[in-house]
Amino acid sequence: MSDNNKAETLMKIKDLKMYFPITQGIIIQKHVGDIKAVDGLSFDIQRGETLGLVGESGCGKSTTGRAILQLYKPTAGSVIFEGEDITTIRGESLRKMRRRMQMIFQDPYASLNPRMTVGNIVAEPLEVHKIGGNAKERREKVKDLLNVVGLNPYFINRYPHEFSGGQRQRIGVARALALNPDFIVCDEPISALDVSIQAQVINLLEDLQQEFGLTYLFIAHDLSVVRHISDRIAVMYLGKIVELTDRYTLYANPLHPYTQALLSAVPIPDPVADAKRQRVILEGDVPSPANPPKGCNFCTRCPKAFDPCFETEPEFKEHEPGHWAACHLYQA
Amino acid sequence: MARLLDVKGLQTQFFTQDGVVKAVNDISYTLDEGETLGIVGESGCGKSVGVMSLIRLIPSPPGKVVAGEVIFNGQDLLKLKDNEIRSIRGNKIGMIFQDPMTSLNPVLTIGRQISEALELHLGMDKSRSRKRTIELLELVGIPMAADRVDDYPHQFSGGMRQRVMIAMGLSCNPQLLIADEPTTALDVTIQAQIVDLVKKLRDELGMAIIWITHDLGVVAGLADRMVVMYAGMIVEEAPVKELYGNPRHPYTLGLLGSLPRLDEVRDEKLESIEGLPPDLIALPQGCPFYARCKYRIDKCETENPSLHSVGVGHGVACWIDIDKDPITTENPWTEV
Amino acid sequence: MAGDAWRRFSRNLSAMMGLTVVALFYLVAIFAPWLVTADYTAIDLDNVESGPALEHYFGTDELGRDVYSRVIWSARSAAFVSIFVPAFSLSLGLFFGVLAGYYGGWVDTLVMRLSDILFAFPGLLFVFFIAATIKPAVSLWVKELGFTEFAKQGYVDYVVVFTALALVGWPGLARLIRGQFLSLKNREFVMAAQAIGVSEWRIAVRHILPNAMTPVIVAVSGGIGGTIAAEASLSFLGIGLQPPNPSWGQMISDYYGYWRHATLWPLLFIPSLILVAVILAFTFIGDGLHEALNPQSS
Repeated sequence: MSDNNKAETLMKIKDLKMYFPITQGIIIQKHVGDIKAVDGLSFDIQRGETLGLVGESGCGKSTTGRAILQLYKPTAGSVIFEGEDITTIRGESLRKMRRRMQMIFQDPYASLNPRMTVGNIVAEPLEVHKIGGNAKERREKVKDLLNVVGLNPYFINRYPHEFSGGQRQRIGVARALALNPDFIVCDEPISALDVSIQAQVINLLEDLQQEFGLTYLFIAHDLSVVRHISDRIAVMYLGKIVELTDRYTLYANPLHPYTQALLSAVPIPDPVADAKRQRVILEGDVPSPANPPKGCNFCTRCPKAFDPCFETEPEFKEHEPGHWAACHLYQA
Repeated sequence: MARLLDVKGLQTQFFTQDGVVKAVNDISYTLDEGETLGIVGESGCGKSVGVMSLIRLIPSPPGKVVAGEVIFNGQDLLKLKDNEIRSIRGNKIGMIFQDPMTSLNPVLTIGRQISEALELHLGMDKSRSRKRTIELLELVGIPMAADRVDDYPHQFSGGMRQRVMIAMGLSCNPQLLIADEPTTALDVTIQAQIVDLVKKLRDELGMAIIWITHDLGVVAGLADRMVVMYAGMIVEEAPVKELYGNPRHPYTLGLLGSLPRLDEVRDEKLESIEGLPPDLIALPQGCPFYARCKYRIDKCETENPSLHSVGVGHGVACWIDIDKDPITTENPWTEV
Repeated sequence: MAGDAWRRFSRNLSAMMGLTVVALFYLVAIFAPWLVTADYTAIDLDNVESGPALEHYFGTDELGRDVYSRVIWSARSAAFVSIFVPAFSLSLGLFFGVLAGYYGGWVDTLVMRLSDILFAFPGLLFVFFIAATIKPAVSLWVKELGFTEFAKQGYVDYVVVFTALALVGWPGLARLIRGQFLSLKNREFVMAAQAIGVSEWRIAVRHILPNAMTPVIVAVSGGIGGTIAAEASLSFLGIGLQPPNPSWGQMISDYYGYWRHATLWPLLFIPSLILVAVILAFTFIGDGLHEALNPQSS
């Protein structure tokens, strides 16, 4: 967790867009439209903080993480990391830049190469960036890393399938830490894990943040988890951020009707508290990102929608210091 | 309320190449008419297998119910002939599954799939079953049901498909609805819609529900009573408020402690349960939670406790009393 | 990993029987010169068409050649086919498959259309065509170049027949490898490697290729039986390996007149049986590997 007194911007995302083209035709591919997975995001990430990015499936949160890390080439916008726009760099310099920014993936089964030993998986980042000395020194470093993430270094020669989901996720964390990055995108790192194992991984990520001064972008669909781990939270809906504020304000004073609905839909493991809650049950389903509605993206499901919502897109602006939202209800 | 279901000493095992997987180990519980029972546990704890065993939907081989009785309306379901159990499934006992994508046949219309059960179990003719199907679709909140009855599953969204599954599960007015993680594949706002719908339907139709889930949050507002499973055994059973308010098994306590709660920000760490559940092929001799338990004593390693009463309707399978006995081991788990 | 696969494979009775037969087959091929009792080309017109006896285990044919020794030498021909043809088509398949699968775009289109064209021909017909038209020309050309002895020994036969069979085999493998690359390219561990900063080439070789190889190994090993059968068919029709090089297919062709002969029927039946046994053995190994390497599918 960061302190409020230091506010050094590590990363500045400006009007980030990631469109995936829809094409038709077998021989000549004709461009007939776009899936607007991420459609104009702007936000900052402060050094040492955890910024939570929450939303339902298909809202573009994972795509955002990948576009920030340049694993997808963004369609438009800039990602400024320590003063440099990393969307413009290519090839070898991009490869070098990757040392500073890492990723932890959702699926601990799919994100580890099944044909490589744990030792080789964790050593690979050191190898490709030619750091960590010779093979023997690297192996010692790998053992240290396994220790750090709570795995027995004795397992260094085993293959991923010999581990449980939680242990595999630890391997993924060790790989991300190997290069001593400043910034880590955690893309739903616990949603594939069992409840009791989720807490282990959350605690580990918090410990590592303190120990190594890491900055996280923590992407998840579970608002309770995001609220627990994040300093500030951005709520996404259909490719856009609808609200961004600190974790206390988001719960105490949510502005956007979608945030309100999301908060009320999250189950609370307490029948007494649950019975007291006012539920906002949203009607219908999320529209397709290939064909978003006119006006506000949320207007088709919003219980408070009024005329302007069906006409113009609301501006994402700061309503109180540090509290951003995109909603016509507050645009006066 | 009359007793609807009485499960006694149920044991289900899978005979695999690697050995005998003891998926469900001697579980007993009851369910009254109109009651909602939540069964919670993590993957591999036997919660699904245990319930599928009731209606004999265990893939066999390798699976086999090796012991127990399942008394439903005075009949032992495990002793019925194949055609007799088939006439109960989908009729007196309705089912909804986790994945509405794979549980619906993609080449048949929604209407066809619902009316099939109506024609089979209730002997309705085509026009009556179609009328009833449309009513059912309206009941579960499908807009323009009369138009959509001839649509195919792929024309429905995930949430709508789960509504269709619920309509199928309820088609024959079952006395018992078995819901196996019906909201796990859905988004949280859609999950809220479905839970809301099931509650409404339960109040209208009065069926009993067994709701299987890994999510302690979802069932908190839904269930009357809860069963917590671990390694194929019931470790705690209690009325819902009692279970969340006064958990008595170290595993239940740990599970609740490891969940971040939306309505409070804890600055301290989550209480994680270190380690992994035991291998179901080689279950330990004593308590299955021994290797991860902070309260353990020597007895726990050698003797497996059985469920005993600690309050009205509240049973726990544990040798110690977590309200009185001290934590004995801060870091019980050792890597193997 | 390999250990697990071997454990599953070794539990599979038919696969282990296949492995035994194949091991025996290669041993016979290697030690052929020590196993034969006579020169397989030696003609003895004083002793023609004799049935199986102590002197000639499997009898002699209408030219008085020792059938036992011919059967043994034929194992060598089949062994050559079983090694060189798959190796050749695998190299072509790997080269084109990786090219198409990893780079995509027009390279992919080009490679796939080329393989479509080869696919459009019925496989064996294509080989017949090459054997019937190109082989004599190549033979002549090699002789003109002065490698008369090389041509006379029948090596040209081997080279041309192997090449033709390999040309028929690679498009299937290339498609398989391309398909694997396309699906593996989008797997999370490949993205994880990109996120670390692993170079494209290293991703292809270290991350994708090893994971792509399982079905390829299964396809290649299962296909060896078919390759041996194809060579036998060609030789049966007289356009495969030419005498004096012996081959089981050729022997079946030479001796099929004996099929109802009171004493000479083993001349036909022994090579036929051996051929079937070896082909089946390779198929069993292929199936066994498939099950051992994809435990979830069985």
